[in-house]
Amino acid sequence: MIMGVFRFSRKQLCIPYALFLVCFVVLPLAVIVYYAFTDGTGSFTLANLLSFFTNGNTIGTLCYSIVVALVVTAVCLVIAYPTAYVLARSGLKRGPVLLMLFILPMWINFTLRITALKEVLTLIEGNLSLHPFLNTVIAMTYDFLPFMILPLYTTLLQLDVSLLEAAQDLGAGPAAVFFRVTLPLSMPGIVSGVTMTFLPAMTNYVILDMIYNSTYIMGSLIGSYFNIYDWNNGSMISLILFAGICVVSVFTGKVDQSDLDNRGAIL
Amino acid sequence: MTAGERIKVTAALLAVAVLMPGVWNRPLAVSAAEAEVDETNVQTVQGSTASSSSEKVILRIANWEEYIDEGGWDEEEAIELDNEDETVILGENSMVEDFEVWYFENYGVDVDVEYSTFGTNEDLYNQLTLGNDFDLVCPSEYMFMKLIAEDRLKPLSDGFFDENREDNYYIRGVSDYIRNIFDTNTINGEPWSRYAAGYMWGTTGIVYNPEEISEEEASHWAILADPKYKGQVTVKDNVRDSYFAALGILNEDELLDPDFINSDDRLERIAELMNRTDEETVKKAEKILKQMKENAYSFESDSGKSDMVTGKVLANYQWSGDAVYTLDQAEIDDYILAYAVPEECTNVWFDGWVMLKDGIGEDSAKQQAAEAFINFMSRPDNVVRNMYYIGYTSVIAGGNSDIIYAYADWCYGAEEESEDNIEYPVGFFFSGDDSDPDYVITAEPDQANRQLFAQYPPQDVLERAVVMQYFDKENNQRINQMWVNVRCFDLSSLSADDWGRIAAGILIVIALAVVFWKRDDIFRRKS
Repeated sequence: MIMGVFRFSRKQLCIPYALFLVCFVVLPLAVIVYYAFTDGTGSFTLANLLSFFTNGNTIGTLCYSIVVALVVTAVCLVIAYPTAYVLARSGLKRGPVLLMLFILPMWINFTLRITALKEVLTLIEGNLSLHPFLNTVIAMTYDFLPFMILPLYTTLLQLDVSLLEAAQDLGAGPAAVFFRVTLPLSMPGIVSGVTMTFLPAMTNYVILDMIYNSTYIMGSLIGSYFNIYDWNNGSMISLILFAGICVVSVFTGKVDQSDLDNRGAIL
Repeated sequence: MTAGERIKVTAALLAVAVLMPGVWNRPLAVSAAEAEVDETNVQTVQGSTASSSSEKVILRIANWEEYIDEGGWDEEEAIELDNEDETVILGENSMVEDFEVWYFENYGVDVDVEYSTFGTNEDLYNQLTLGNDFDLVCPSEYMFMKLIAEDRLKPLSDGFFDENREDNYYIRGVSDYIRNIFDTNTINGEPWSRYAAGYMWGTTGIVYNPEEISEEEASHWAILADPKYKGQVTVKDNVRDSYFAALGILNEDELLDPDFINSDDRLERIAELMNRTDEETVKKAEKILKQMKENAYSFESDSGKSDMVTGKVLANYQWSGDAVYTLDQAEIDDYILAYAVPEECTNVWFDGWVMLKDGIGEDSAKQQAAEAFINFMSRPDNVVRNMYYIGYTSVIAGGNSDIIYAYADWCYGAEEESEDNIEYPVGFFFSGDDSDPDYVITAEPDQANRQLFAQYPPQDVLERAVVMQYFDKENNQRINQMWVNVRCFDLSSLSADDWGRIAAGILIVIALAVVFWKRDDIFRRKS
C-alpha cells in the first residue's frame, strides 16, 4: 500500500542532476546577471554593458582573444584531421594504441605539462619572452590537441565505407571523394572539435600566465576585475562572453544540421 | 596573482550563489547582515550546549601560505645560539599546536585554533566579503589600512600595550624603528598601532646576477625598463609594486638630486612623490609600465624566484624576504646572486596581525586569545623559529632578550676570522642607532649586498624607505584601470604592416570558406 503511494518513476532519476544544475549552473548564472546589471550600490544600470563596448582596451582584448583562439583552432584542426584520418581509416594494426599515445597527455595535469613545455621551448628559443604569441599558440595547441583529435577520430571511425565506395564507383576521384563525401560526413566531428578548442582558447589565461605572455585575454580580463573587487564589470564581461558562446553554438549547431541535411539530399 | 587564486575567485562566486539565495532582489548588505544574525544565533545555541563540558575558545586565524613554523624539525636542525644563556631552538611541533598548549598552561583556557591560509591580500579580502569569518588575520599593510578605513577592525586592548606585563612579548620586543612607523602612520587620524601588530617586514629591491649586471645598474629602478636587458628581467605582477617601480623611474632625476638627498625632510618628500596618484602621474606611469611590459621577461607573481635561480633571467624585482629565499636557493647550486635596493627609494612593507570586528565581536575571551597569539608569535624563541622556517625578517628585535640578535649573528656571522670580513652594523633595527657597538655583526664581505643586507637593511637604506599608502576608492579605480590598460592588447599599437597582414589573413580565410561552400559546383565542373 505505502509503496503504491511513492511510486517510483524513471523521471526521479533526474533529481540529483536537476539539483546540481540549479545549484551550480542556474543560481551562479543568476548572480552573474544580477551583478552585471547593477552598480556598486545595487541599483540597476547599463553602464557596465556600455563601458565594455566603448573601451578600446576591452575591445582590443576581445580581438586578441579571438585571434589567439582562431589560430589555435586552425592549427589544431590542421594537425588533428590528418592524424585522426590516418588513425581511423588506414586500418593500422596498432591504431587504438597510437590513439592512446595521443590521448595519454590528458592524464597528466596540464600545469605540469605546460611547465615541461616551457623548459623545452626555453631550450629551443633561448628566451621565452621574445615570442609570446607563438609560445601561446604552441602551448594551447599542445594542450587542446586531444580535444580535437578525439571527436574527429570517433566520427571518421563511424563513417560508412560503402558510401565512399559508391562515390568511387560513380567515378569520383580521390579528391572528390574526400571533399564531397568524407569531409561533409565528418562535419559533426569538426564542429564539436572546434567548439571544444575555440572556447577554452579564448579564456584559458592560466596557460598565458605560465608561458609568460603578459597580454590579457578574456579570461584574465575577467579575473583582473574580480581581483580589484569590481564584480559588476567582471560579471558583465563574463555575461557578454557567455552570450557570444551561445550565439556561436547555435550557429555551429545549425551549420552542422543543415549541412548534414544537404548532404543527405545530394547523396 | 596566480591561476589558483583566480580559480578561487570563481569558486567564491559559486559559493555566493549557494550561500545567499535571494540575493538578487535585495541589497547584498542586508542578506549579509541576516546571515550574521543567523550565525550568532547558532553560536549561542552551540555555546549553551558546549558550556556544560568546558569553555572552549575557538580562534579562527588566516595567514599567508607557508608563513608560520610548521614544526617537524630534525634534531640536527636545532639552532644553538651563542647568546648568554646558550639558547637552543628546535621546532618540534607546529607553532599553532604549541600555542594551544601554552595558552592552556598560562590562561587555563582551552583554545582551538582553526588555522587557514590565503594566497593574496585580495583573496583574503574577497573571503571576508563573502562572509567567511576570521578572528585574526595577517594581511599586508595596505590591506589592513583598507580594513581600518572600512571600520572592520577591532582595536587592540590597552592591556596589549602594557610593557610591564611579562608575557606582552610584542610590545616589549618590537623594534623601535617599526614601532615608530606603526605609531606615526595614520588612517582617518588613527595610528596603525591601534589596530595592527607587525609580523614580518622588509624592503623591495632587485635580485641580480653580479657577474652579468653591476651593482650600480641594479641599484636603479630603471633597470626594469632598460632595453639593454630586454627579456632578462622579471617584474612583479601586481599593480602596487609595479606602480611604485614606475614612479621610481619617473622621478629618478629628482630623487637622485644631491640637494634632494641632503635635505632634512628627504623621507617625507620621497613619501609624497611616491604616493602621488593624480591623473597626470598615473598616465606617465602607464607609459613606463607599457615599456616595462615590452621589455620584461615576464610579469610574475611566483615564478620569478625559480626563473632567477635557474638562470633564465638576470634580475628580478623582489621583496626582501623572497630575495633571501632566492639567494639561499641559488647558493645550494653554488650560483651566487646579490640583492640591491634602488638608490632612488624603496618601499618598506609589513605584514601585520589585525582582529576583525565580525569575528571577535564583543567576545572578550576570544580577543584575549587573539592577542595572546600575537604575543606568543612575538616571543623571541618563536620569532627565531618562524624566521628560520620562512626566511623573512620579523619586526621583533627582542627587547631585553638577546636571542634575536644572536640568531642574526648565528646566520650571518663569519665562520672564519679574516681580514676581509666586514663590520656590519644592525643597531638601527635592534636599538635605534647604527653606531651602537653592541649590535655589529662581523660578516663575510659579500654579505653587505646579500642575505644580511636583505634581512637587516642598513640605516642609509631605511632613510629612503617609505610606506606606500593605501589608495582611496577613486584613486584605486584610476590605478587599477591603468593596470588593465597596460595589460590589455592595444589595438592602436598595430602598425600599417600589421593591419595589412590581418587583412590578407582575413581574405585568405574568406577565400577558403567560399571554396568550401561552393565545393559542389567546383568539383562538379571538374568531373
